[in-house]
Amino acid sequence: MTTEPGTRISGRIIRPYTMTGGRSGVGLPTIALEALVAVTPAGMRMRGRFRWEAAEIIAQSRKEIAIVELAANLEVPVGVIRVLAADLRDQGAITIPEPPTETVSDSSDNDYAELLHKVLDGIRAL
Amino acid sequence: MGSGPSERTGLTPVKIVVAGGFGVGKTTFVGAISEIEPLRSEAIITDASAGIDELYPDGTKTETTVAMDFGRISLKHRLVLYLFGTPGQDRFHFMWDELARGAIGAVVLVDTRRIDACFAAIDFFEKRGTPFVVAVNTFHGRRIHEPELVREALRIGPEVPIVHCDARVRVDVQRTLMAVVEHTLERVMSEAAAS
Repeated sequence: MTTEPGTRISGRIIRPYTMTGGRSGVGLPTIALEALVAVTPAGMRMRGRFRWEAAEIIAQSRKEIAIVELAANLEVPVGVIRVLAADLRDQGAITIPEPPTETVSDSSDNDYAELLHKVLDGIRAL
Repeated sequence: MGSGPSERTGLTPVKIVVAGGFGVGKTTFVGAISEIEPLRSEAIITDASAGIDELYPDGTKTETTVAMDFGRISLKHRLVLYLFGTPGQDRFHFMWDELARGAIGAVVLVDTRRIDACFAAIDFFEKRGTPFVVAVNTFHGRRIHEPELVREALRIGPEVPIVHCDARVRVDVQRTLMAVVEHTLERVMSEAAAS
């Protein structure tokens, strides 16, 4: 459960912050753990330009994949993925639409109820 | 929310949080229904971060790695349901806020042999206003605890659903997740009716 940051089971020897150029993501709006990342056509064209985890994010997000899945698959902390993903989004290489939340305005209560009905139906059908 | 986020990419992610005391069976619960083996992701936190951010490059603060287990279930209607198990220890509570943000609701798994282990989770969701259901884990084959006795022991209101659930059994987990969504739906509908 508790490991030294920077030492990974996989033997990673780069400290996580190195990949983000030392940036911590402080001050950036938090990207939800379940937010889905998808590569854009521009991102596909640019993919050779990226290194390390950024290249890996591009490769893995050819099919929509959540921030938290990228963190698990790449074996880096969620915060690192957030910083790199925000960069890639700013460059137009990926999209990260904001997931629906419970903090909806009054006018969209019906939308939220509709979403919940669909989720319920989806779970029932499993 | 609404149709906006999904227009470009097609899939809409939703999530449900699975909470409870350490060792109560959260990862078992997630694994019973997830289409992937539960994965573990980590966040680096500091003693001082308390939800501000998990990454501090200056090294002046004590860092801890918090692990959370999660699973994924593809649903009809182009939905993807993520299930997040909360980190067990009380001192990671501020991570729960991040997990609860945007969640449809939560499952609080209860082991009746250690009923106090779930108090922290119930306190948290009550205070935050996150809809939750209590799922009494029948993992040990016993079902001697009447829902009303559990309700009394947990000091939860009559509106909180209590279900029995063997965390290893897919259909039990499925029913429990449906109970969460139904509970949230009822609340949304009654709020809409009241406004």
